[in-house]
Amino acid sequence: MTRRAPVLALRYLLVVPLAAAFLFPFYWMLVLSLNRPDAILQFPPRLWPQWQVQNYAEVWRFADWPGLFANTVITTAGRVLLVLATSTLAGYAFASMRFVGKAAAFGLVLAVYMVPAEVTLVPNYITLSRLGWIDTYQAQFLPLAASVFGIFLMRQYFLTLPRDLWEAAQLDGCGHLRYLWSIAAPLARPALVTIALLQFIEGWNAFLWPLIVTSTDRVRPLQVGLAAFSFTDSTRPELLAAGAFITTLPILIVFLLAQRQLVGGIASTGIRG
Amino acid sequence: MAVRVTPALNLPLIRRPPLRRILIRYLLDPSTPLADSTAVASRRAEGRPAGRPSLAAYGFLAPALAILLIFLLVPSIWVFGLSLFRWDLIANNPTFVGLANFERLLLRDDLWWQSVRQTVYYTAVSVPASMALGLFLAVLLNARMPGRNLLRGAVFAPYVTPFVATIVIWIWIFNPDYGVLNALLRAVHLPAPGWIRSTDWIMPGVIIYGVWQHTGLNLVIYLAGLANLPAEVHEAARVDGAGPWRVFWRITWPLLTPTTYFLLFINLIGSFKVVVPVYVFTGNTGGPDHAAETIGFYLYQQAFAFFHAGYAGAISVAFFLLILLMTGIQMRFFSRRVFYT
Repeated sequence: MTRRAPVLALRYLLVVPLAAAFLFPFYWMLVLSLNRPDAILQFPPRLWPQWQVQNYAEVWRFADWPGLFANTVITTAGRVLLVLATSTLAGYAFASMRFVGKAAAFGLVLAVYMVPAEVTLVPNYITLSRLGWIDTYQAQFLPLAASVFGIFLMRQYFLTLPRDLWEAAQLDGCGHLRYLWSIAAPLARPALVTIALLQFIEGWNAFLWPLIVTSTDRVRPLQVGLAAFSFTDSTRPELLAAGAFITTLPILIVFLLAQRQLVGGIASTGIRG
Repeated sequence: MAVRVTPALNLPLIRRPPLRRILIRYLLDPSTPLADSTAVASRRAEGRPAGRPSLAAYGFLAPALAILLIFLLVPSIWVFGLSLFRWDLIANNPTFVGLANFERLLLRDDLWWQSVRQTVYYTAVSVPASMALGLFLAVLLNARMPGRNLLRGAVFAPYVTPFVATIVIWIWIFNPDYGVLNALLRAVHLPAPGWIRSTDWIMPGVIIYGVWQHTGLNLVIYLAGLANLPAEVHEAARVDGAGPWRVFWRITWPLLTPTTYFLLFINLIGSFKVVVPVYVFTGNTGGPDHAAETIGFYLYQQAFAFFHAGYAGAISVAFFLLILLMTGIQMRFFSRRVFYT
């Protein structure tokens, strides 16, 4: 085992500086957010914060944060719940039901997977404006309420359930919907958690689509509000950094609590959401 | 897995299925380990549906299919029609103009070609850099070592944090006069460029951000690939006295080929679509002299800053065809390289 120690030391020597470099922007976010306004224009920059905690109180006045938070929570929750519902139902149908046109329907879902969402921005905008949905909550999450990966993941999970389970449930007079709700879906909880986590992150971080379909702070999410703030108040970077930290905190908390499931989910799908 | 390990340390001859099959199998079954995606089909016979065809199935499928049809499939076809109109989003008065939008786009629009070049530049630099960094870190962090999860988490965190919140910080890191990056460069007597204020350096800045943001994904997928490698092969090589360098290039790297193909596939397409970093870094301007405009950003601007829906439709069609072409080339190229030694 004497050969192992230097190898391990070398590993740390290579990895720790790199990992620190990856973390640095987060540290810098905190430092900037706790500095006095003039410190930011110092050169060379101060590497330690000045603990100007009142920045966080001050940034509160610069935007309607509770409103932006509420909008983000509403649109994110709508997205998570709808994707869970549509993925569970469709995944179950593909895995456990017989029907005419199944291959065609499955082919359609595969075909949709090849479409880059960016290509649909303009037509979808026109559709939503015809519906009169511009600047609403539903415009932000309804077009994203079905996920090809969600469907695949649920289908895959339901395929592993033994058929006896369904047969036993059927003998007890259970229909598909009841079986799905009280037996199959609870058994597929790991897949549901993965989908919910990925959709939460996608929803919370959503930017381009909400930017396009919203025009007022009434329904805008945090990230769009933060960008607007950054374009108008570039003279107060310490407040901008405080705002950035506030909007990132929920994601960092979820990340710390669920790192394992999150990484597992992303590693197994190769995408966020 | 169809691996024939020829005696001792001679190269294992590995037969790989074409990427197309790896990808399709992976899509159908995301739990398939990428490093060993050759034979998985058998275990799923269990849940196969039996009994009468059911009408209820259509009800189960309806919500998901309706959304995918209305907001993905139909628009992706409609956009071809849209591209044949002059269509101002504000006045909302579509006029049929035939192929005029494409004529302008391909023959007379220098900004479009500039955005294509810049997108290729972004992709060609950021994808190899972020994949190489991800692989390097994955190999180092694959060992049992204290603090491993913390180190992995540090690299992965940027991938799940919002673009806007991190970019507003990076804008200050890149600040030519007061930023920490230039302070560091000056401290080691390197030239301190103008970064996001300079036409030459704004793209490298966006690329650095992209690598920072995206390496975590490559890390975790490479880690998943490494975890699925057969441990015996590595053990055997080490017993035979092969050093880590040799073990990596002769065994690990070839065995990771499916993971690398898969990552290359999603990285190339993902980075080809980059929009949001350009938008936030440049404050919706595209940078000095349009120096950071990518195809995605140009599309966004034509549609939602200038309201040229028809012209943006033509850009979308060209973009769509470029992505399909890229996908096609990758699949052809990779499927021909069946034998990998």
